[in-house]
Amino acid sequence: MLDIPVMEYNYIILQYDKMQKSFSLDLLKVGEKATIRQLDSSELPSKFYEMGLLPGTVLEVKHKAPFHGPIGLQISNPNILIAIRKSEAIHIFVEK
Amino acid sequence: MGKTSLFNRITKLHQHVGNYPGITVEKRDGSVKANGKTYRIIDLPGTYTLFPTSMDEEIVYNVLADKENPEHPDLVVVVAEPNNIKRSIVLYQQARELGVSAIFVVNMIDEVNAKGIDIDYQQLEAYLHTKVYTTDARNGKGIAQLIHAFDERPGYFPGQFETDETHKAALEEAKRAFPLYTEYQTWQFVAQENVSFLAKEQQEVLADIRKRHQLSPNVLQQAEAIQRNTKIENDLKKIILQKDNQHLNKTNKIDKVLLHPVWGYIVFFFLLFLVFQLVFILSEPIMDWIDEHFSTLIDYAASILPEGPLSNLLTQGVLAGIGGIIIFVPQIAILFLLISLMEETGYMSRVVFLMDRWLRPYGLNGKSVIPLMSGVGCAIPAIMAARNIENTKERLVTMLVTPFMTCSARLPIYVVLISLVIPNETFLGFGLQGLTLNILYILGVVAALLSAAILNKVIKNQHKSFLIFELPSYKSPDWRNVGLNMWEKTAGFLFGAGKIILAMAVILWVLGNFGPNDKFSNAEAYVKQANPTLDSEDLEEEVTSFRLEHSFLGYMGMGIEPLVKPLGYDWKMGIGLISSFAAREVFVGTMATVYSLGEDVDPDDDEERETLLSRMRSEINRNTGQPSYNFASGISLLLFYAFAMQCMSTIAIMKRETGSWKWTLVQTIMMTGLAYIVALIAYQLLK
Repeated sequence: MLDIPVMEYNYIILQYDKMQKSFSLDLLKVGEKATIRQLDSSELPSKFYEMGLLPGTVLEVKHKAPFHGPIGLQISNPNILIAIRKSEAIHIFVEK
Repeated sequence: MGKTSLFNRITKLHQHVGNYPGITVEKRDGSVKANGKTYRIIDLPGTYTLFPTSMDEEIVYNVLADKENPEHPDLVVVVAEPNNIKRSIVLYQQARELGVSAIFVVNMIDEVNAKGIDIDYQQLEAYLHTKVYTTDARNGKGIAQLIHAFDERPGYFPGQFETDETHKAALEEAKRAFPLYTEYQTWQFVAQENVSFLAKEQQEVLADIRKRHQLSPNVLQQAEAIQRNTKIENDLKKIILQKDNQHLNKTNKIDKVLLHPVWGYIVFFFLLFLVFQLVFILSEPIMDWIDEHFSTLIDYAASILPEGPLSNLLTQGVLAGIGGIIIFVPQIAILFLLISLMEETGYMSRVVFLMDRWLRPYGLNGKSVIPLMSGVGCAIPAIMAARNIENTKERLVTMLVTPFMTCSARLPIYVVLISLVIPNETFLGFGLQGLTLNILYILGVVAALLSAAILNKVIKNQHKSFLIFELPSYKSPDWRNVGLNMWEKTAGFLFGAGKIILAMAVILWVLGNFGPNDKFSNAEAYVKQANPTLDSEDLEEEVTSFRLEHSFLGYMGMGIEPLVKPLGYDWKMGIGLISSFAAREVFVGTMATVYSLGEDVDPDDDEERETLLSRMRSEINRNTGQPSYNFASGISLLLFYAFAMQCMSTIAIMKRETGSWKWTLVQTIMMTGLAYIVALIAYQLLK
């Protein structure tokens, strides 16, 4: 058995179990759209909320910097582009 | 961004840049005469909310919330972008609920159509309980009407924020402890970690309330953000209609290239290369021009002034000192022209996006790119550019390592030393001298990154590191902003750092032209006695350098000789090291004086440089009997200059920016210590 895909798979399952149908934002691919369901508030500063990352926000992943760099998101209302790190994206749970 | 354009439009050039007392956030204020009086206008730093996460944002909160603050305004003008009115409404509501009068401005109104937005202004005014104005700072539309409204003081504003049931008990308790404040102000006190204008005991009361109710500021702030945003979004549905965003479509197309995992980096490094080429190529003719005219001016001044020490001080101390400052102005101005162009167009945020991944392992942040890049021009504005890094630790580390970047003041030293010790030959088709210069620049980057990685391990972090920033739509630059920004940064160097450089030039002149004893004042007699056979020309040269040897500066150079001897330097180079501490660019001038060439030597003028070089080449180190500038001591000196904290102005700016002598000293000791060790190793290996 190959290790890496299984590990990644397990990780996805884990996130699925924790949040039922939602999974963490970093798993979205460029071009995919999703709606924020929940944010792990103990891990994220309030600035994330103030910049518009709130439960219910619809977003689309527009860019991903290589080697797990920042993720560029287009959020629908207000219609702007923002960028966050992967380390924070794992605390934001979305649903397609 | 639009806010500063608007400020520039309103105040025209009647503005002033200073600092808020005690801290270093830039304070821009201006004035405008209208309605039969003069209004004072402050351009507060931009923010999304009154909960501060950076020094800039803290200023906004303190100015608006603290009625005792000297800058506390009579009227706040909240500037919104049509694209993101919701966010500005949050800020507007917070300000009103703190009890400040405010009006609302939608700026960049000409872009409303392009952005596919439809706003019902009458309803918006009713919703905000204030007047709403529309402006376009680029063409001046609506500015006159806005200025006309400065006497408005909208009164009653119904609170829009409902405290969550679970937080009410804590708020009630805080209200009893702070009976003199509005309810929302009290909530702000509870929801902030540290309100700097409250007394220590008051802060302890608040911390105690939070502790007993098990509330963290972060959770409270999030609760407010969610409550306000949800409510505003709902309320705005009838007021603002948003269709497809054309503007963002264009931006997304450009970003497909500029943020591309491969092309993005190629474009970035090409632009970086272009910036530095432009800085050097464009500035060269201007620098030559300044240099030529300054020499003429100095000669002219010397010819009309009566001969004597005073004329000498004026021409070779003061005027030469001023020349040494002005010569850097073209480079700094061009660098900041290009940097503010990158900021204005929106590209700088893309640089942060591309570089964060590569700087994070060193404890830096994507935003550190701007200080580090500016450090190639001059460390002083670069350290100031670190202000918009939110995380205290990342900001500190960025400031600590930025001076390792090769600033433009090191360049003349490098040029002189390289042509002295590196043979003018080619290696694999590359000029050895140019290659050495490149290596020195790379060494600066490496030293900055490695020391950042070490500091990252040593310094404790108070806050979690995070990064969130907007990638603004691309737009053509507002040339007024670019021009003003360029002027402010250049003036900051010219008058800020320039003062210190000039003072040091004068002090050095005094130290070099006066001596403590008879050997200085009677140099000629001593020299004649020792060498009775010298002809008059040789005698004069001999006297000059004998005099310097016995001047205060000479004694200082000899004083540090034991310290610099293991690095391969003699006392004359010691003088150079001492004097270039004032500012690196002083080195070449001092070397010229030390080798009794007197007048200002221009390292860019081939003939003059050759004179200095041949003089330096023929120098013999009296300790080793070898040429003073041989390969080993030259490399050692180059490395010393690459790493040492050889700049008083940088130390001054560090003290100001960090507000602590501790970190300023840590930086100085770290840099100079590293320089000493590296130079020592290099010399001992190469000699």
